[in-house]
Amino acid sequence: MQWVKAKEAFDEVFDEQGQVRPHYASLISLLESFTKQDIDRRERLQKLALVSQGITFTVYGEKEGLERIFPFDFVPRIIPAPEWKRIQDGLVQRITALNLFLLDMYQEQKCLKDGVVPADLILSRKEYKRQLLGVVPSRKIFTHVVGTDIIRNDRGEYLVLEDNCRCPSGVSYVLENRALLNRVFPEFFGSYPVRPIKEYPTLLLDALQFVAPRSGQHPVVVILSPGIHNSAYFEHSFLAREMGVPLVEGRDLLVEGNHVFMRRTHGKRQVDVIYRRIDDDFLDPLTFRRESLLGVPGLVNVYREGNVALANAPGSGVADDKAVYAFMPELIKYYLAEEPLLGQVRTYVGLRRDDFRYMSEHLDELVVKTTGDAGGYGMLMGPFAGKVERERYLAAMKKEPGNYIAQPLIELSCHPTHTDGQFEPRRIDLRPFILYGDRVRVLPGGLTRVALRPGSYVVNSSQGGGSKDTWVLAPREP
Amino acid sequence: MILSRVADGLYWMGRYIERAENVTRLLLVTEELASEALGLDEQVARAEWNHLQAIFPGPEIAGRPTARALAASRPAALSIDPNHPYSIFFSLRKARENARTVREALTIEVFVNLNDTYRELEALTPRQMADPPMFRDALGSVHRGIMSTVGAVEQTLSRDAGWLFLKLGESLERVFRTTVVLQIKLPGLLTHEPTVDLALFYTQWRNLLRGLSSLENYRKVFGARLEPVEVVNFLLFDPHTPRSVRYGTTAVKDYLDRIATGTDLSQPARILGKLVAAVSYEGPDLIRRGATVAFLDTVASELARAHDALATIYFGT
Repeated sequence: MQWVKAKEAFDEVFDEQGQVRPHYASLISLLESFTKQDIDRRERLQKLALVSQGITFTVYGEKEGLERIFPFDFVPRIIPAPEWKRIQDGLVQRITALNLFLLDMYQEQKCLKDGVVPADLILSRKEYKRQLLGVVPSRKIFTHVVGTDIIRNDRGEYLVLEDNCRCPSGVSYVLENRALLNRVFPEFFGSYPVRPIKEYPTLLLDALQFVAPRSGQHPVVVILSPGIHNSAYFEHSFLAREMGVPLVEGRDLLVEGNHVFMRRTHGKRQVDVIYRRIDDDFLDPLTFRRESLLGVPGLVNVYREGNVALANAPGSGVADDKAVYAFMPELIKYYLAEEPLLGQVRTYVGLRRDDFRYMSEHLDELVVKTTGDAGGYGMLMGPFAGKVERERYLAAMKKEPGNYIAQPLIELSCHPTHTDGQFEPRRIDLRPFILYGDRVRVLPGGLTRVALRPGSYVVNSSQGGGSKDTWVLAPREP
Repeated sequence: MILSRVADGLYWMGRYIERAENVTRLLLVTEELASEALGLDEQVARAEWNHLQAIFPGPEIAGRPTARALAASRPAALSIDPNHPYSIFFSLRKARENARTVREALTIEVFVNLNDTYRELEALTPRQMADPPMFRDALGSVHRGIMSTVGAVEQTLSRDAGWLFLKLGESLERVFRTTVVLQIKLPGLLTHEPTVDLALFYTQWRNLLRGLSSLENYRKVFGARLEPVEVVNFLLFDPHTPRSVRYGTTAVKDYLDRIATGTDLSQPARILGKLVAAVSYEGPDLIRRGATVAFLDTVASELARAHDALATIYFGT
C-alpha cells in the first residue's frame, strides 16, 4: 500500500523520516491487511448507514431543507494519553478563566479598570449584553458547554484557535462517528485502549441539572431549538433523545408570572433549565431582536429573576469573540495567576492601530476573520486570494477595523484520509467539548474535522469538510 | 402528557403514514382492475380511474380522457408526483417531515423504516411508473416498507400519550378514508344492475373489498360468494375487520377516551361517542331504505368535526 507523508505540515502518523509513529503502528498494519474491495464495501455500508438513519445537516444558502450527510473518514485520529493530559489541563484552565472573565464583565469589570483588555474593545461588541449587567447566573456558571477549536502547527504543538462559548455544535457527530466506526470497522478497536465517550449525554444532563434554580424537586430540563431548518437540528434532536428530555421550539414555551412553562396537551408545566441552541439575539423579542419569532417573549426577564437557568448564559458570546481571544493569555494570568498551559495563535486585532496597519500591509500572508461570524463564513484566506479579492476585502475592513482580526496562516497538521480509493494527507483540527457543572470536565477526544479537498485548510462542514473518529488512549497501567 | 406541538406532529405522522398506505393499496387495486377491464368494458376501466381521482383529488385532468390515457398518467401522478397532494410521495414526505420534528418522541426503528421507505420511493422515476410490471413491483415494495414502519411503531414505541396521538391520527384517517371510498363507489355499484358482464360486476364488488383490505376477512364470514348487500353491511357494520366504519369509529373513540383525563368528556370524545352509538344501533335495513349515502355523509362530517375539535383543545391550532 502506498502511503503519502504530508509535505509542509506536521504529519500525525509519520515522523520526519517517514517512519510510522509508535501509537499508529497497529492501525497502519491493520489497514494494510485490507484489500481495496474490502474497504470499498465497508465504505458503502458506512454511507448507507448514515443515509438510513438520517444523520444529516442542513446547508444554508442552497435549496431550502437540503439535507446532506456529514462525510465521515474511517481512519481514526489517535491521541496518546500524555498528549491528551496536556490538552485537557489546558482546557480546564482556559474555561475556568473564561468564566471568571464573564463574571467580571457583567459585574465589576475589574479587568477593564486594570487595563488588561481595552474597555472599548469589549463594550462595543454586540455580543456584550449591557442589559444583563449585574445579573449573576445560577451557580456563577456562564458557559456550561464550550467547544474549543485546537490545531497543531508545523512543529506538532497544540494551539487553541478559538473558543466557542455560544452554541458549539458537533458533539452528536463525535458520538455517531464512534458508533459508526465500531459498526463498520470493529477490528480497529481490538489493539487499542480507546477511552469511551458514550457518557457525554449523561454528563451534559448532570451539568444542566446542576444549575436548576428550584431545589428539592426533579428539575425539568429542555432543549430549545430554532427548529427543523436549522443546520444543527439533527444534533438538537439527537441530544434530546439521548438525554430523554423534551425538544422544544420557542412557540412551545410561554412566560407567565415570571416563570417559564411549556404548552402541553393537558395544561402547562414549569421549566427549570433551558439548554438553548438559539443565539442570544433571537432568545427574547422583548429584550433583544424584536422581530425574532424563534424565541420566547419575556424569557430574559425570567432569567434575570433567577427563575430559569439558560445554558449557556446569555451574554457569554463576548468571551469567544475573536478579538477577546487575542487577550486570553493575559486574562488567564490575570484571573488565575498561572501561565497558560495551551499556546494559541498570534492574533492581530483590527481595533489596535498598529495591528491594523500590519494587517493591511501583509494581507497576502494572513487569514482574516470577522469577529462576529462563525462556520468559516466571511473570512479571507490571504495567501490564496487574488489581488482583486484582497482589495475588495480590505475596503470592507477599512469601514469597520474593529470587526476584523488576522492571524498568520498555520500549516494545520495532516492525517491520512481515505479519498477516491487512496490514503492521502488532509488537514485536520480538533474540537474538544468541555462541560462546566459541579466541576469542569472535558470529553476525551472531540470532533476531528478534516478538510477533504486536497490542499484545503477549511474544515467546516458547510465548506466541504468531513470528520473522523477521535481516539484518546487510556494511560498504560504502571 | 406531552408538548402540544409534538402531539400535533405525531397525530399527522400517523395520518400521513396511514394515508400513504391507503393510496398505495387503492392505486395498486385500481390499476389492476382497470387494465384487466380495458378491453372488456372501457367505461368500467375509466370509472375506476375517475373514482380514484375523486377519492384522492388532485390537479384536474383536462377534457374527458380515455381509460388508456388515464392508465398512462395516473400511476405516476398518484405515486411519485411531489405536487399531487395525495400522491404516496407527498404523504410519505409529510410523514417524514413530521417524524423529523418529533424524532425524540420516536424510536430509531420507526425512523429508519420510514426514512428508508421514503428514500426508496424518492428514487423511482416516471418512466418506471409507466411500465406496469415495474410499477406493481416498486409499489409492492413501498407497501411493504410502509407496513414495516407500522410494525416498528407496534413493536418499539412506548404506549404513552405520544403513541395515543399517533394511533388517533392513524385510526381517524383510516375510517375517514373508508367512508370516502364508500361514498364514491356505492352510488354507482348500488344502482347499476349487472349488465354486460356478470363476472365483471362481481369483480368490481370484490375490488371494493380488496381496496379496503377486507376481502379475506369477508370470506371468513360469508364465504367466497359475494352478495352486494352483505358486502355493504360488512364494510359498514362488521365489528372485527379493521377498515369497517364501525370498527374504525370505535377505535377513534377509544383513543380519544384514553387521551382525555379526568371524568369530564372532551368535545371530540362527545362527538365520537354519539357517532359510535349511531353506527352501532344502525341496522342492516339501511340499504333497503336507500339511506346509505346520507348515512355516510353524516359519518364523514362528524369525523371532520371531531378533527377540528381535537386540534383546538390538544394542539392549540
